[in-house]
Amino acid sequence: MRYLLLLPLLISFIVVAENEHSDMHDLMAHMLTPASEAIWESSGYVITEQGEFSLEPANDEEWEKVLYGAKVISESAYLLKIPSRSENKNEWIVFASLLKDVGDKAFEAAEAKDVEALFQIGAELYQVCVACHQVYMNK
Amino acid sequence: MKIIKLNLILLLSFFSYTVYGHHAFTAEFDANAPINITGKVIKVEWINPHAWVHVEVEEDSKLIVWMVEGGTPNTLIRNGLTKNSIKPGTVINVRGYQSKGKLCLPRCIANGRDITFPDGSKVFMGSSGTGAPKDGADPRER
Repeated sequence: MRYLLLLPLLISFIVVAENEHSDMHDLMAHMLTPASEAIWESSGYVITEQGEFSLEPANDEEWEKVLYGAKVISESAYLLKIPSRSENKNEWIVFASLLKDVGDKAFEAAEAKDVEALFQIGAELYQVCVACHQVYMNK
Repeated sequence: MKIIKLNLILLLSFFSYTVYGHHAFTAEFDANAPINITGKVIKVEWINPHAWVHVEVEEDSKLIVWMVEGGTPNTLIRNGLTKNSIKPGTVINVRGYQSKGKLCLPRCIANGRDITFPDGSKVFMGSSGTGAPKDGADPRER
């Protein structure tokens, strides 16, 4: 139910994309990057002389932010696949599908509050981003 | 068939591993500003998408903190570095390239190429194909 809140955002992106072919940079900078950072910043370790500290979410509210980021990543795959963005771009569609898979896995890990899985999925997410950027970023 | 294709693309991307991702080297770092610093590790951020090693360096009787970017934790593990092998307090030598801004406020920022430990062992701390100069640090470029 709470993810219905995402709908206006997603619809607005779709409307803009279909009508004006919104700049891909904006979608990345204002949607996918913050969503990815929600995953990356919720797992890992900071090590100092005082000890090792986990970055895992400390309460349900913080886990909710991770769930939100994961869902945005997963659902944004559909935005990347709309015809105006994906026509004649076979690899683009493959990368978007990979992004959906990673988003779904991140969502499952966040639901299970599995920090180690989330850390590994964060690495996988970066791989997918890099692989796509390698092909399309300068086109 | 679809799954095989997906895996193949990811696998190829994984091995080529050219990082134009979160940022490319040339977007943030200056290939004409190499650094060679020696100092004490004071903090390690073992995080995605880049690990960071904070090194306290004495320069002109002042303590300067350098924040050195590495590859992803998984990349570092493959290179032979774990979060337990860069212990705070260890004195290391780091070669790399300074950020384009060159402002050291509140700390200096650099892209790390390799770390040399007190026992003389040297480990590549970056990712391959980032656009960093081919300086011999990356064993995959040799």
